[in-house]
Amino acid sequence: MSEEAKVGVFVCHCGMNIAGTINVKEVVEYARTLPHVANANEYVFMCSAPGQDLIRGGIKKNGINRVVVAACSPSMHEPTFRAAMAEAGLNPYLLEMVNIREHSAWVHSHEKKRATEKTKALIRMGVAKAVLLEPLEEFRIRMQPTSLVLGGGVAGLRASLDLAERGYKVHLIEKLPTIGGRAVRLGTIAHSEISGTDLLKPVLDAVESNPNIVTYVNSELEHVDGSVGYFKAKARRNPRYVNAKCTLCEECIRVCPVEVADEYDYGLSKRKAIYLPFKEAHPHIMAIDPVACNKCGECVKVCEPGAINLEEQPQDIEIVAGGLILATGYSPYDPPIGEFGYGRSDKVLTLFQLERLLDPEGPTNGKLAVSGSVPKNIVFIMCVGSLGITENAHPYCSRMCCASSLKNMIRITQLYPDTTIYALYKDIRTYARRDEKLYELATESKIKFVNFEKTPTVNVGQVGVSVQVRDATLQENLVIPADAVILAVGMAPSEDLSKVRSVVKVGCSPEGFIREAHVKLRPVEAPADGIFLAGAITSPKNVLETSMAGSATAAKASTLFSQEEYRVEPITAQVTEELCSGCAICIAMCPYGAISRKTVGEKYRAEVDRALCKACGACVAACPSGAMQQAGFKDTQVLAQVVAISERRTGS
Amino acid sequence: MSESFEPKIVVFACNWCTYAALDLAGTSRIKYPPNFLVIKVMCSGRVDPQFVLEAFRNGADGVLVAGCHPGDCHYIEGNYKALRRITLMKRMLEKFGIEKERVRLEWISASEATRFAQIANEMVEQIKALGPLAPRLEVSA
Repeated sequence: MSEEAKVGVFVCHCGMNIAGTINVKEVVEYARTLPHVANANEYVFMCSAPGQDLIRGGIKKNGINRVVVAACSPSMHEPTFRAAMAEAGLNPYLLEMVNIREHSAWVHSHEKKRATEKTKALIRMGVAKAVLLEPLEEFRIRMQPTSLVLGGGVAGLRASLDLAERGYKVHLIEKLPTIGGRAVRLGTIAHSEISGTDLLKPVLDAVESNPNIVTYVNSELEHVDGSVGYFKAKARRNPRYVNAKCTLCEECIRVCPVEVADEYDYGLSKRKAIYLPFKEAHPHIMAIDPVACNKCGECVKVCEPGAINLEEQPQDIEIVAGGLILATGYSPYDPPIGEFGYGRSDKVLTLFQLERLLDPEGPTNGKLAVSGSVPKNIVFIMCVGSLGITENAHPYCSRMCCASSLKNMIRITQLYPDTTIYALYKDIRTYARRDEKLYELATESKIKFVNFEKTPTVNVGQVGVSVQVRDATLQENLVIPADAVILAVGMAPSEDLSKVRSVVKVGCSPEGFIREAHVKLRPVEAPADGIFLAGAITSPKNVLETSMAGSATAAKASTLFSQEEYRVEPITAQVTEELCSGCAICIAMCPYGAISRKTVGEKYRAEVDRALCKACGACVAACPSGAMQQAGFKDTQVLAQVVAISERRTGS
Repeated sequence: MSESFEPKIVVFACNWCTYAALDLAGTSRIKYPPNFLVIKVMCSGRVDPQFVLEAFRNGADGVLVAGCHPGDCHYIEGNYKALRRITLMKRMLEKFGIEKERVRLEWISASEATRFAQIANEMVEQIKALGPLAPRLEVSA
């Protein structure tokens, strides 16, 4: 400490709130006897203008350089007293508040004598800490009002569009050759007659035409540095081999010799190595699948506009953004081969594949053709991959599969009235506003609902497929011959999450999704500032919920961008380099990735990024050498309070 | 043990949950014995076991470390760090001859003022039964 501590103690009566229980006069007399206390005052309301004048006067006239206010909880008036100190020219972090109202007067009004003694002890502890306080400066980061959105599905599109419409620049990165995500592949949208593509076309168009949005398809996020306000990201744009000159004449598709399963149709159809991802693909040009393409060059020969360049190289993209929005979605639960006959018979399909079959623009032009013909008996098995119904199943409910299954069952009964549908379910959860209606409609149709407790089994024989189930209501075993078995698979964490987590510091929930800052109160924020989570990256969501999450992240990011500077409370962790041995224990402690190891000469040293540090102090408690300290909560400062619990040690 | 013994108990309260619960006890005028001296830390994960040892060395008869419930930590998992450290430290304390009941780790959310009062009453009774710690430490010093 450069100058000797001169502590001013200011004890508040809070009317009779404190003074009614505590003998304030006695407490003030006592405070005057404490080491380093230059003066001690009392006032009826310390937070009032005259009360604050006492503090300002103490600083200006009496030269006090530490302030102890014994009054209410710091959550009430800490900002008030800090402001008063700053006005008088004293660093506002040289304040220690002693909570003698909530923690003493109000809870011990039945024992006034002891309450007064306790209050003296609390002030003694507060003074002991105040002596060791140091001036702190708020840390400020200039805000870059630009966002990087990772993932071009419903969540990412909604977030991008909302931000762009507010005038903020957006860099949208999509791994696939088109934006649109998985929702564009839905055959029909519930409560409507339109397909996922039709639903989202206006959104895709709006994103493409908005001048504030720069879209990078075929691109992946490789590296992120920095923190809230100023992230520096590196992305890689993989070659598409086809440029904007493409006129979609499809000559290339005709000559391309390579045929592979079309992922857009979940493997139900084939496409060439050069292809248009789907009819409304944005950008609306061909793409070449770099894995499938054998670079034979046939397409180049027939391409009249000269849009194809097989020599195209990957490109590095650098983006500076104040906030990151992660919207990488989900992966459908992929049943292991043999689970419910999946992969053993072409009569066993997932719900996602059924969506494609019922899409008028799908591989069968909307005709429900399973194994070549329209099925007569269809068995839906619900909760596949969910509610722990099999060994591989996730423990949670995916929320959307019930409504989605019911929607498709109803559609099938409308299109093919002769079809018999069995719905085998563990639970039906149509929780959303209009979805219960689907269940009502389905029960009114001829759909046979069978409740199971024991998971059904699917037998794939030479003659055909049958499903065995024990009806939990009738307590009877049923064997249902099936022309089609639809597995209502749920949502699993996206396959891309490990890549995302290797680039951006975000944590995992026990289910494998990305964890929110608070599951109820901060559902679209990551724990680290400036990182937002949109859509199914945090948990299964339907299209409606995903849109809401997308908009929510845009709102959160706008709040950030509306500030010119981002202020960080200065009570962050800091390293005393000379004491640090570079053991890196602190790095593992930090949930925010704020600590890194740097090389100084030939040694390792820990380094704290103050913009990332949230000031929990976990690293400080773990540091074996005392090199890591938290401003305002240093070991010496907390220990001074501890030592001062007893009178006899004071001043030693 | 003499009737007049009033244990001195130090509370390390996390800023977000337990400190707020203590504030709520105040605004709700919930009474509890005045044996508790509160030290605020931002997170229970900040509590260095040496703070607890120093508290005993300086005359505390008991220590309460309190933070947010598991899953509710403002800093994601600081309370788990506290759990590990305090569990380990209690084992060590027993080797020193300090009863492990003198240290308690509790999860007290911002709304659980009555729960704090209940723990406070319990702790005072428990530590009264154990008797003061300081004289024993003086003898052994």
